[in-house]
Amino acid sequence: MQDTHISLAHGNGGRYMRELIEEIFARHLANTDLDVQADAVPITLDSKDILFTTDGFTVQPLEFPGGNIGSLAVHGTTNDLAVAGAIPKYLSLNAFIEEGLEIATLERIIKTLAETAAEIGVKVVAGDTKVLRRGEGGGLYLATTGVGVRNGHILSMKNIKDGDSIIVSGSVGDHGIAVMLAREEFGLRGDIQSDAASVLNLTTAAHIFEGLRFMRDPTRGGIATVCSEMLRATGMGVRLLQEQLPVRDPVQSVCDMLGYDPMYLACEGRVVAIVDPSEASALLERWQALEEGQDAAIIGHIDSSMQHVLMETDIGGERILEELEDDPLPRIC
Amino acid sequence: MTVSAKQWLERIHELPHRGKVKIMNVCGGHERSITMAGLRKALPDYIELVPGPGCPVCVCPEEDVFEAIQLALNEDIILVAFGDMLRVPVNVKKAQARTLEQAKAQGADIRPIASPTEAVSIAKANPDKAVVFFAAGFETTTAPVAAMLVEGVPSNLSVLLSGRLTWPAVAMLLESGEPGFDALIAPGHVSTIMGPEEWQFVVDEHNIPAAVAGFKPESLLAAMYSVLRQLNEGRYFLDNCYSELVKDGGNKSAQAHLSKAMNVYDANWRGIGIIPSSGYILDKAYSDHDARKLFPAYADDARKRAGQMPPGCDCAQVVLGKIYPNECKLFGKACMPRNPIGPCMVSDEGACRIWWAGGMRESAQ
Repeated sequence: MQDTHISLAHGNGGRYMRELIEEIFARHLANTDLDVQADAVPITLDSKDILFTTDGFTVQPLEFPGGNIGSLAVHGTTNDLAVAGAIPKYLSLNAFIEEGLEIATLERIIKTLAETAAEIGVKVVAGDTKVLRRGEGGGLYLATTGVGVRNGHILSMKNIKDGDSIIVSGSVGDHGIAVMLAREEFGLRGDIQSDAASVLNLTTAAHIFEGLRFMRDPTRGGIATVCSEMLRATGMGVRLLQEQLPVRDPVQSVCDMLGYDPMYLACEGRVVAIVDPSEASALLERWQALEEGQDAAIIGHIDSSMQHVLMETDIGGERILEELEDDPLPRIC
Repeated sequence: MTVSAKQWLERIHELPHRGKVKIMNVCGGHERSITMAGLRKALPDYIELVPGPGCPVCVCPEEDVFEAIQLALNEDIILVAFGDMLRVPVNVKKAQARTLEQAKAQGADIRPIASPTEAVSIAKANPDKAVVFFAAGFETTTAPVAAMLVEGVPSNLSVLLSGRLTWPAVAMLLESGEPGFDALIAPGHVSTIMGPEEWQFVVDEHNIPAAVAGFKPESLLAAMYSVLRQLNEGRYFLDNCYSELVKDGGNKSAQAHLSKAMNVYDANWRGIGIIPSSGYILDKAYSDHDARKLFPAYADDARKRAGQMPPGCDCAQVVLGKIYPNECKLFGKACMPRNPIGPCMVSDEGACRIWWAGGMRESAQ
């Protein structure tokens, strides 16, 4: 491509658009099922149980330590399939590109997206691009829809029982803090990497356990939000142990400085699993044996004797974790 | 040897129990750590931890917030303010802008900042525009504003100052005859700047034990242990449990900046009234950067409840430690972070906001 930046012409349906699709999207995403000429593609799925999900991505900045909006668009949707008990097979991709975006940036992002999809073994088979006028979009928005096939028994919050153990697959809050630092809004810098990653190995490992009740990836709103959702769905309380919660030191330091609570920060490559207590240590061992599960920990249990999410603090105090109200403001003194 | 929070807690539990002891803190950061660590539940029942005047946003005069809103709406300026200030409500008629955030929605150019250097950058980036920095805060945020002025700022930057000193509010409580506390945890950050000696009067003049604390549970618990022992032994002194950062005499250069750029005056605290020697005003030498001199005063004494807390709001009582946040009848009902009525529910330093965020939501009634 001769152009260096996206112009409105790249959305006009003509030669510019064809070039953009062929040279950026089709070139990187090429696979046996992708046909950029077709209006729709046939896909084959060897299963009666098909899972289907969709997600949109608007992260700012577009690139951050440990990932970019392209890898996030694959991880976000495939992780939703994975925690629901599916193996992701196909993705569609919508790109809303703002006029003026550097084509080199777009290409980096789509290349990462393609590599991420290839690692997970999922094919992008349908797509669309639109160009937004300058000032009407944050550089690039992506939306992906995912199709997967079931690889385990049906998971649901309805399965959760009193006394069930709660396991998290790794340190919490890394993604939230990494993206926040990348914005450089607070004059803070750090080398905290986002945890954005596929959770498919983790969820596949968890599926061999009969006592697995439910899994979720704690994205926006973090662990506290997953626990609040379980409380609302089951009416049973959740007791968490702060001492057991894996939080990296630099993440904790930034939280201390800005008044954030790691319990409410987004992860993009972690899983929270609810499992029968008799299988909790076996699942923990399986996860810890995986590279992405090294820091996994049992962080609490379901407690029907109360109706809130309660955290036992490091020093033996207690604190109720309520539903996230709004984004905290930076402190002023 | 460093002592962990758990060990301090054990030592406190080993102390002989006694009648109720009320320990006041005067720093939003202290209250946040106490609440988030669940210290109240972990301490013996005879100890009550009282959040006192530790939130500069909460006591920022209503008329100053009103002035900032009016300047932003009526003058051709960019108004910058610490993020917390944007949602502090004033008492105006329904159709009028009640907060800076609402003024912003009505088209005023208002930008939240996190440090004075951002105010300078915004002024430099907009040389053709007057930039007004609405600076509310205790010594910890006022000292950097003073430093900014002393070091020199762009000619288009002025300051609408609402700086306050921490100790005079504690002095006022102690002199009232009903202080409402038996011991004081003195603020760590304020002491790093002004020196721990500022709190000596609590011990010397009022016979109340005091200890300076940092923000980690271990430092707060060390300070609590110190004041409890002082009470038990009847030997009172000012302890420094944050000696890694709080040095005798404080930060001399910050103090020099404060005394060069500002003067201390008898200042108004929202809902509380005038407290002697408790506020900062800009020195005459900085008149060219004093928004109060450069722009008209929009004060309107006829305005209903001018200077007061909003109707029904007990923030002033909460700030003074007279009641706990959940004893206000609006707490968690009409007044929540999403739709705060009083400033204590707005600021991260406000006791109401901290209690709500920490899940302490049961009404006391």
